[in-house]
Amino acid sequence: MTLSHLATEDVFVVERNDADFRAGQGMTKGLGIVFRKFRKALFGKPNSDRADTEGQFNVQYPEERLAMPEAYRNMPILLYDDATGHELCTSCFQCERICPPQVIHITQAKDPATGKPVPAAAKFVLEYDTCMSCGYCAEVCPFDAIKMDHDFELSTANHPELDVDYNRLLRPVSYYETIAPTMWSDVKEQAMKKLQNNIKRRPGDIGRDHGQKIKGGAPVAAAATPAAGAAPAAGAAKPRGPVAAIGKNMSEDKTAKLLAIRAANAAKRGGGAADAAPVAQAAPVAEAVAAAPAAASAAPTGPVAAIGQNMSEDKRAKLEAIRAAKRAERGE
Amino acid sequence: MALLARGELRSILQTELPNVLDSRWDTQATDQAEAHGEGQTVLLDFDAVVKAEAIVEVAHFVRDKFGYDLLSNITAVDYLNHGIIELVYQFYNAAEAGPDLRVRVRIGRSPEECIVPSLTPTWPGADLQEREAYDMYGVVFPGHPNLARIYMWDEFKGFPMRKDFPKTGDKYTHVTGE
Amino acid sequence: MLKTEELQINIGPQHPSTHGVFRMLVTVDGETLVDLKPVFGYLHRNHEQLGEVNTYLQNMPFTDRLDYFNSMVNNHAYARTIETLAGVEVPERAQYIRVIMDELSRILNHATAMGFMLGDMGAWQTALLWGMREREKILDMFEYVSGARMMCNYCRFGGVVRDIDDWFITELKKLMQGLPHYFDDFEGLLLNSEILLARARNIGVLPKDLALAYSVTGPVLRGSGVAYDIRKAEPYAVYDRFKFKVPVGTVGDVYDRFLVRIAEMRESYKILEQALEQLPDATGGFINPKVKQQSLKAPAGEAYARVESPKGELGFYVVSDGTGSAYRYKVRAPSFINLSALADMCKGYTIADVVVILGSIDIVMGEVDR
Repeated sequence: MTLSHLATEDVFVVERNDADFRAGQGMTKGLGIVFRKFRKALFGKPNSDRADTEGQFNVQYPEERLAMPEAYRNMPILLYDDATGHELCTSCFQCERICPPQVIHITQAKDPATGKPVPAAAKFVLEYDTCMSCGYCAEVCPFDAIKMDHDFELSTANHPELDVDYNRLLRPVSYYETIAPTMWSDVKEQAMKKLQNNIKRRPGDIGRDHGQKIKGGAPVAAAATPAAGAAPAAGAAKPRGPVAAIGKNMSEDKTAKLLAIRAANAAKRGGGAADAAPVAQAAPVAEAVAAAPAAASAAPTGPVAAIGQNMSEDKRAKLEAIRAAKRAERGE
Repeated sequence: MALLARGELRSILQTELPNVLDSRWDTQATDQAEAHGEGQTVLLDFDAVVKAEAIVEVAHFVRDKFGYDLLSNITAVDYLNHGIIELVYQFYNAAEAGPDLRVRVRIGRSPEECIVPSLTPTWPGADLQEREAYDMYGVVFPGHPNLARIYMWDEFKGFPMRKDFPKTGDKYTHVTGE
Repeated sequence: MLKTEELQINIGPQHPSTHGVFRMLVTVDGETLVDLKPVFGYLHRNHEQLGEVNTYLQNMPFTDRLDYFNSMVNNHAYARTIETLAGVEVPERAQYIRVIMDELSRILNHATAMGFMLGDMGAWQTALLWGMREREKILDMFEYVSGARMMCNYCRFGGVVRDIDDWFITELKKLMQGLPHYFDDFEGLLLNSEILLARARNIGVLPKDLALAYSVTGPVLRGSGVAYDIRKAEPYAVYDRFKFKVPVGTVGDVYDRFLVRIAEMRESYKILEQALEQLPDATGGFINPKVKQQSLKAPAGEAYARVESPKGELGFYVVSDGTGSAYRYKVRAPSFINLSALADMCKGYTIADVVVILGSIDIVMGEVDR
């Protein structure tokens, strides 16, 4: 077959060994190489230089760890300013829009006095279980509020726990600075400038202290001890937010939260005919979820009762779903 | 054996094999990209559109006359607005390299029309690709030795890559066409 | 009178030698294979439909999951298709970076693929782990530039997401100091081993004309003696600027495919050397700043772009209707089409040879089932 597109010197035929079988010389030669390698591995030094092809290459994982490159991306986290506690997120929905598996759910904060939107997120839910770690959210975020974490030890037996909200998403800026110093210093100035502008437009406590308030104090900041160094002590504090408090009824919580988000989104869209059906389905579940913690809790179940009688069924269901989710978040 | 430029095959076929070209598309022989607004389906015609029953003849013609012996890719595209399914056959000339040669077949979407003779007897490499086109688009290839579903399970009804296949819900059995 | 009967066996879908969830329905007469039917679909994720729902940029990380050994190559092929479709220019430095990543991918893919194949033959672990060691070194470097070891998501339309820096180039040079030793060791370990010769020579023969009829590409086609390499046949990126050779086999058996892959690793090494030498400085940029990544809209039309992936011809056929997402998105997956030759290659050999032949095709189910 003529190959006119290839000059003859561009092609070469691989050399086959078509010799008859011998008495194991080929194998002996291979074993010689193996033995050489084996000796080097036994008596040689452990090495990590890329040019080496002999010696020990193992990293004894839980005790020893490789340093993570700065660009490493695992799961998204949200940043807040150490000094003021203000979150950098302004709920611009850029990440929600770009997210390929659509796992980011944001609710924009509203000024309670005027009802106008405020550049802050009231709710930020991310489904870690479906997240594909592509890093687009961090890439598109104009406020550098969402970044990719280096913590990869996220395995859990409790699947619904992977539906994370502010409790686990928030990290102080100082934490991100330790895991990715140059990447942060590149954007630090403009990010902080943008944050100052946004703080001016946030009345009261909106956009602030989400994580701490829920847990009544400092746990987020405390737990976020950076562990990005090359070799933290075994079993040392991992940079993850407090999650332990969430109880056994987590799966119900997840249902409630998701329903609340869907209901809220439906409400945002104006709740057309198409939205009525899922909400109607959602209502009984939400009620059931709402009933359980309410009965167990000593706190009065005022909010449920306060829902007006003259509201439409749809709207009431939505409200109840939202409130159930809020109670779940408070850990009741 | 020579490489063909894009669109050249059409004029060659007009003189050498006048009966194989699909006359329905003679009038739209130019690139009509501008004519299609946003959100519209497109049909581009710089390549030869041949009759379904002539595809085997044309495939042999381009192989024997021009050396396009590597049938690389078979793609089915569902143009719902035009009511047709297009099959794009991409041939390569393994000896002379260069870009691909595209031959198209356009057939209706109904089960009676959605039939193209199989290339598998001559190009066994078309086997899995034709099964994929059958599974996803419902194109039937008479002459194929084992035309069964390839990705979906055997009991599956409907053709999931067709544009009118519902993307939500589990009522996939409502789809017509099988 | 001895009576023999044909027997049907399922190999897979959960079987260590099928390289993923792949099922072979084999009919055997004693030890000899009479018929083989590949059965797919266990890893089907409707990738092509997702490509029609997603925007062009959103689909990039999904291409990582096709051939998950070579996400860099997948990204390159997909980015090239959309660049062809939308008429995007790519800076020269980005082209070089893509070539470097592609060739590193080829080395790591062949190193592990050959290791797995030898593992199937019974060369338990040693060859594989040596390949894994080189792969790990390369993956660390991928992690450094892209942020992930395997799901790199590195290319963008008109370039790459992050430039390579001095650290990367220093480490790449160090890696390349070690690579020839690895090639030599790997060849010395098994190339003349009597067991390998017995298991690979004249097993799974795919003659030249049959290979073309089966549309196989990549090392399988070249092992059968057809010197068809897309890097030469239809040069993309900057491949026309490098001097390298196309290795071909003569018989088309498992042994030839094995030798072709080793030779290809050495050729990749040569390309890397030249690419590092020619790499333009950073003034030209590593990404085309004019491209609106997130809201990229391609004019109505179609595009097909292909690259020489380590497994064969990887192409994306995309039809655009002028919106921000593809109207039709088809993946021409090399291992899927190479598999169509499996039945023919296996017939007449023993059942123990089947796993070796399958290993010599080098499939990844993420790409086969999509």
